[in-house]
Amino acid sequence: MPKLLIVDDEIDVCDFAKHFFTKRNIEVSVASGGREALNIIETQKPDLVLLDIRMEEMTGMEVLRQLRAQNNNVKVIMVTGVEDEGTLKESQSLGVKGYIHKPLVLEELEKIVMGELLEK
Amino acid sequence: MNWNLFTISTLILTITSSILTAILLSFGKTPLHRVWGLYNLSVTLWGVGGFFAGISRSPESALFWWRIAHLGVVTIPIFLFHATVLFCNIKRYLLLTLVYLQGIIFIILIPTNMFFSGIHLIFSQFYFPLRGSSYNLFLLLWILIVIKAQYELFAQYRKVLGVRRTQISYLFTALIIGFLGGITNFLPAYMPTVYPFGNLSIPLYGIIVTYAILRYRLLDISIIITRTGIFIAVYSIVLGIPFVLAFGWQEKLINLIGHNWWLVPLISSTVLATVGPFIYLYIQKRAEDALLKEQRKYQNTLRQASSGMGRIKDLRRLLQLIVHIVTRTVNLEHTSVYLYNPANKNFVLGSYRRRKESDFKIPEAIARETPLIQHLTDSRDPLVYEEIKQQAQDFGDRNRAQLELSLRDLDAAVVVPSFIEDRLLGVIVLGRKKSGKLFSESDLVVFTILANQTALAIENAQFYEDMKKTHEQLFKAEKMATIGTMADGLSHQINNRLHALGFIAGDALDSIKMKKETPMPPEIKELISDIEYALGKVQDNVKQGGEIVQGLLKYTRKGEEGFSAVDLDKLLDASFEMAQYKVKLNQFAIVRDHLPNIPKIKGNFTQLQEVFFNLIDNAHDAMMQRKTEKNEPDYKAQLKISAIPNGKSLQIQVVDNGIGVKKEDVDKLFTPFFTTKLSSKKGTGLGLYVIRKIIEENHGGHVDFNSEYMKGTKFSIELPVLA
Repeated sequence: MPKLLIVDDEIDVCDFAKHFFTKRNIEVSVASGGREALNIIETQKPDLVLLDIRMEEMTGMEVLRQLRAQNNNVKVIMVTGVEDEGTLKESQSLGVKGYIHKPLVLEELEKIVMGELLEK
Repeated sequence: MNWNLFTISTLILTITSSILTAILLSFGKTPLHRVWGLYNLSVTLWGVGGFFAGISRSPESALFWWRIAHLGVVTIPIFLFHATVLFCNIKRYLLLTLVYLQGIIFIILIPTNMFFSGIHLIFSQFYFPLRGSSYNLFLLLWILIVIKAQYELFAQYRKVLGVRRTQISYLFTALIIGFLGGITNFLPAYMPTVYPFGNLSIPLYGIIVTYAILRYRLLDISIIITRTGIFIAVYSIVLGIPFVLAFGWQEKLINLIGHNWWLVPLISSTVLATVGPFIYLYIQKRAEDALLKEQRKYQNTLRQASSGMGRIKDLRRLLQLIVHIVTRTVNLEHTSVYLYNPANKNFVLGSYRRRKESDFKIPEAIARETPLIQHLTDSRDPLVYEEIKQQAQDFGDRNRAQLELSLRDLDAAVVVPSFIEDRLLGVIVLGRKKSGKLFSESDLVVFTILANQTALAIENAQFYEDMKKTHEQLFKAEKMATIGTMADGLSHQINNRLHALGFIAGDALDSIKMKKETPMPPEIKELISDIEYALGKVQDNVKQGGEIVQGLLKYTRKGEEGFSAVDLDKLLDASFEMAQYKVKLNQFAIVRDHLPNIPKIKGNFTQLQEVFFNLIDNAHDAMMQRKTEKNEPDYKAQLKISAIPNGKSLQIQVVDNGIGVKKEDVDKLFTPFFTTKLSSKKGTGLGLYVIRKIIEENHGGHVDFNSEYMKGTKFSIELPVLA
């Protein structure tokens, strides 16, 4: 079963996203912060990470940078509230699979996530 | 030498009247001044003749000098009458001719026996002439002419008002003093036992009259009389008591205290001379307080009001208070205050109060270039209508006549300038006193103080109002900045809610779709389809809300996040592309002028796009405003954007030839919510504020601005380049 990690400090978002993808036979784990996310990635080795950029304790970009610094090339999709040229470019250079704007259209998310998960 | 009371008095008389003659004949401006000069010359002649006659040792020489003296005596009433006619501005041609004619006849008679029949010694002091056969007639005519002159003055006094009335009361009083004294000189001719003691009143008379004619702002005559009366009373006691003690009571004192009797008059004169001035001043003050009770009262009120004015911060209220207090306490018909308005270069009516209904319409403004304002600026003194009117009439002065007209336009009795240093800040216009009394010198002093205090208070209030405005603008700007910071946090929060909401609705919808094919009772099916519809609507609203929040976030982003190398050409392309949705770009020429490979800007593309979009939008509006408003046939709208690298920065200029900005608006241009744009169609007043914020705060650049009305506007922007 493909494994998906959802990182967002909004519990509601995590819950409903988990429910949504579980229905599609995906093993979903959630993290409400950057540090927790890094732990889960290391221990559970998810196939794809849905990473929110703006989080309290540690930003999504920092999580991404740390992962790449540890040579962890897990697939990542960034979720962001603001369109920002610099962030977009940096995350592209760090090899993210997608860049999704909040509030998202669920169908689009489904398409991207399922595409990435079924690719392997 | 033969010194006696008579010779001393004639000497003093000669000195004073010759000085007056010299002043009047050299500085006199009108026929009245010159004729009055001739009168004083006659008095001088009498003084010279009388003096030399008085010291003459021989009867022959004395008679000669008496004849010289009488050349003066004969001409005195002639010039007096002539001066009176001129002063009263009345026509007495025939009478004046007759007066001159009798004078000529008597002048011819002077050397003959018909005037003086001989000479004799009187009081064992000096020779005095014996009257001849024509002397009685001469004296009769002399007295009649003087009485006629006095009568004309009196008749005039009842007719006129204002300054002239005060002047006449001076002349009238002076004439009585002078001629009652002067006439004693005739007495020895009839009663050899009466000494010509009154000679000294003649120069007094000349001095008073000359003062009254030359000066227009006279003290109330009752004050002069009171002062003189008190002075004479006090000093007769101060000097009289020791005199009486020394000469009258000498015998009694010797009997009483022996040979040291002289100590009594000495001590008493010392004591009295010491306390005399104090008594005099005390009595004078009490007397004047009583005479001027009313005037003192309002002057005090005004003084108090002056010192309290500085505390009032509201300009409108201050002006209202000034006119109110002045009108009420001085009991005037009306009062108004005009304030200088630099924008229109005129004085604008600030406040006006009239106590009784009238058709008179007070002017709304006084131009700065009028003679009235010029005069006030130059002289810095209050202008009194009655004085100006009288002077205009007496001197036939055109400038004064013009001033009189301007004062009449304001229905003004007095106009007081209000100065701060050299700046004429305002003008206080006072109506007549309801009592009909004139404004006194001390009134004018009080009003000058009031006017200058007013100027200070006005400046205070104006400064306070300006400060309040600036403060309000600053406050608005601050509020904007706070809203900006808040909006950033808020929009993220709202965005996250929307995001969650979208997830919740989307997931629920997804579940419904998955279970749709499951068989279920029709009513449940209908319910589920309702819920499906509702969730779809929620998703739509989330999407719309998301777009609004995105728009907000655009304005509030900051910091170095998202900085990259920005190519100016690409930036301008994107900005024009953005602008074309709002304005028609084919309405003006676009010139882009810079070298092909200029360094890249270190900046945030989206924010800079916002900046140039705003500049293009503004330029377009300015050019279209000029096009539609001014209707110039040859006008070709053009927007030029050029860039020059300058060390670590890039200098970009955005120049349009639109309507430009008026000078007074330039400073406010970067203030949030300030807009010069017309109508409601556009202009939130935020554009330039955002530009400055993006360029200076976010990019560490600099934005400068240059605009001239009807010429156009130039924005100079300095942005850092990538190292």
